[in-house]
Amino acid sequence: MAVKEKRGVKGFFKKVYKYRAFLLMLLPGVIYTLIFAYYPMTGIVLAFKKYTYAGGIWGSAWNGFENFKFFFQSGQAGLVTRNTVLYNIAFIVINTVTQIAVAILLTEIHNKHYRKMSQSIMFLPYFISWVIVGVMAFNIFSSDYGFMNRMITAFGGKPVAFYTTPKAWPFILMFFNLWKGVGYGSVMYLAAIMGIDTSIYEAAQIDGANVFQRIFKVTIPMIMPTTITLFLLSIGGIFKGNFDMFYNLVGSNGLLYNYTDVIDTLAFRALVTNQNFGMSAAIGLFQSVLCFITVLVANKLVGLYDKDYTLF
Amino acid sequence: MKKNMKRAAALTLSAVMATGLLAGCGGDDGAAGSTAAGNDSAGGVVDTSEHVDLKMYLLGDRTPDFDEVYGEINKILEEKLNCSVSVEFLGWGEHDTKYSMLFSGGEEFDLIFTASSWGHYEPTVAMGGFYPMTEEFIQTYAPDIWDVVPEIAWSQAKIDGTAYMVPNYQNEFGQDVLAVRGDLMEKYGVSQITSWDELIDFYKKCAADGQYASQGGPWYQYFQAQGLTVTGGAPKGGELILYNTQDPSDLNFTYILDWEGFADYCHQMKELADLGCWSQDVLSSGDERQTGLLTGRTAGMIWNLGSCRNYAEQANKEHPEWNVTLADPVAAQPKKVNSYINNGMAINVNSQNPERAMMVLNEFYTNPVINDMTRFGIEGKHWEPVGDDQFKVITLDGYGVDSNCNWGWMNAEIKRTEYKEDRTVLDDTYDAMLSSWESNIKGDHVYDGFNFDSTNVTTQMAAVDAVLPTYCDPLINGLVPDVDKALEDFRLAMEAAGIRDIIAELEKQAAEYAASKQ
Repeated sequence: MAVKEKRGVKGFFKKVYKYRAFLLMLLPGVIYTLIFAYYPMTGIVLAFKKYTYAGGIWGSAWNGFENFKFFFQSGQAGLVTRNTVLYNIAFIVINTVTQIAVAILLTEIHNKHYRKMSQSIMFLPYFISWVIVGVMAFNIFSSDYGFMNRMITAFGGKPVAFYTTPKAWPFILMFFNLWKGVGYGSVMYLAAIMGIDTSIYEAAQIDGANVFQRIFKVTIPMIMPTTITLFLLSIGGIFKGNFDMFYNLVGSNGLLYNYTDVIDTLAFRALVTNQNFGMSAAIGLFQSVLCFITVLVANKLVGLYDKDYTLF
Repeated sequence: MKKNMKRAAALTLSAVMATGLLAGCGGDDGAAGSTAAGNDSAGGVVDTSEHVDLKMYLLGDRTPDFDEVYGEINKILEEKLNCSVSVEFLGWGEHDTKYSMLFSGGEEFDLIFTASSWGHYEPTVAMGGFYPMTEEFIQTYAPDIWDVVPEIAWSQAKIDGTAYMVPNYQNEFGQDVLAVRGDLMEKYGVSQITSWDELIDFYKKCAADGQYASQGGPWYQYFQAQGLTVTGGAPKGGELILYNTQDPSDLNFTYILDWEGFADYCHQMKELADLGCWSQDVLSSGDERQTGLLTGRTAGMIWNLGSCRNYAEQANKEHPEWNVTLADPVAAQPKKVNSYINNGMAINVNSQNPERAMMVLNEFYTNPVINDMTRFGIEGKHWEPVGDDQFKVITLDGYGVDSNCNWGWMNAEIKRTEYKEDRTVLDDTYDAMLSSWESNIKGDHVYDGFNFDSTNVTTQMAAVDAVLPTYCDPLINGLVPDVDKALEDFRLAMEAAGIRDIIAELEKQAAEYAASKQ
């Protein structure tokens, strides 16, 4: 804030008038956010109500924390919360590292056509729906006619029944998540790398920096702000399981649940048969509150390291 | 000038976007507010002078000729009742989630298909979604239905003393059978499968031959062979809590984890699964019930009599050498007829014209012309009548037989049966089985019409539903490493989730229900 602004009500209106064009341009965005992000939040009241069709959202009776009870009573609350968080941490770490690596490698490829092609191929899985991925996974890991077991037996090994082996699934899930997200995620980092001033590289080169030194001393520090912002954004969803992925890859196979059940799939199972909107809202609120706290804490921690990197 | 133009354009653009956004958020009021106008018409005079368009929701997918058929039906309705019906479908894949949305979203419609447990009847009634059908209401607007539908059907439909659906009226057998490869039976020297031991023997012989027998453990056949059946409205489609339907004097419930029969079953299944009677992947497989049989991956399939016959027919057409036949692994037990509320029609509580909707139902249910049309399609195009009580299929393309969610108004009094010209061995087997069943219908058990209302234990029900698949399905299909440990884990998880509260509530309600039926 280089220019000192006048304070007070008069000053405020003056500023509004002065920046009227900008504010008007901002208006659609603000209205959009109010309608689609803030207005629906009033639905949170459902979490504390015994919902009936006749009563609707506002007319139904209050019932305190009754809607939250089933989640803890199921005895799985700890397990699924742990699974959700651990999976998300693993996804964030693995995806971030791989995406940065891929972005850097792509920029180091000098053949333009080859670079574009490999980028497109990596981007492709992003467009495949999880439903299809689930079918693909079944055809790879099925014990009767799966590709994997055909390979294993062809090389003289003993077939593995993946769908009755829970321990294999964290790896399978991580693999598919990475496979699907790496192309899309690396675009952000690619853009950040492109934004780095080339004169810095030239200077480094003149000072005798080799390729690895250029990457670790110039590129990575320069894209740190982007990395941290993206990291904070993904932390915001750490208590939300990717329902599409877990549901389509694991489905209703109870044998795998100890290793694959997340909050969202548990809530889905509990509530899909009995139409309980209050309980669904309660689970959503539970996740949102935990995510909110996590973001605040993470943001604070980042602020301790460097104030400029924080989200707010 | 140029700058001004740009500015004007930007202003208009933001203004347009802003109004566009605002326009989107009107008009969802009033849906919840307009509750059923309780206009009880005085006397029996029904006023149909005002033309109305009714909207009906059915389950399933729209067949190609559906609109043509309903166009014909609407001609009759226009003439008789001065109204027309337009139909929307909720697909098989989406009705579980969307059914409740129709009510919560305030969608305007009048009639909807419903069914006990699988068709959302109890939960929707609990949430106040259906129009209450008093006896007077039924007698006034659907006198013919009142004459046809038996007293027992209404009493099954009643929840807290009021019916919210018109139940269908037909003897639908609730027991599954086996469609099984005749060539394999011959190969393994199995002449018949009529009991549990014969079934298990066949399964083992399949496994020894490297052939999958089925797509999972035959759990229903196990408890049905012992006279037990599922309890309506109880967790997991009622499988968790059983009762002895063959013995009307036995008013106890069997919670499967308190029953050593279940442990015994699980041990047997572990043995069969380890032998390779079915694939290790059954829990994750997206296969439909008939996939295994039709593709030759399994020796048989288990489903209701009608479906087994259809798929057996299809398999025989594609592979005549398979010689697929039907078998009833619990042949010794008298047969249970499905409760009448297994299919039915309900009226939306927010309908503007519940009276006219009921009159339309009366036509669908008891007018033979309309009833036939909804079942078979257009006479002369899809089917032709044979005598007064039979029909012959001309083509199944375009409409099919009983495949357009017309099950809510099935009426045994006017229901035609199929006439077949070139009969196969399979047809004879089917007819023989059906007639032996019809002559062996079991006596009424008071719980047959009972439906558990879980409103008071929703928390426990949700918790149990959440935990069940983790333990129950692997055990039922013998896929756990250690049966006793898995059973113990299952038991503990169920106790924590509050299964005892559910059982206590269920027993209380059942006792009240039984007392009210005395």
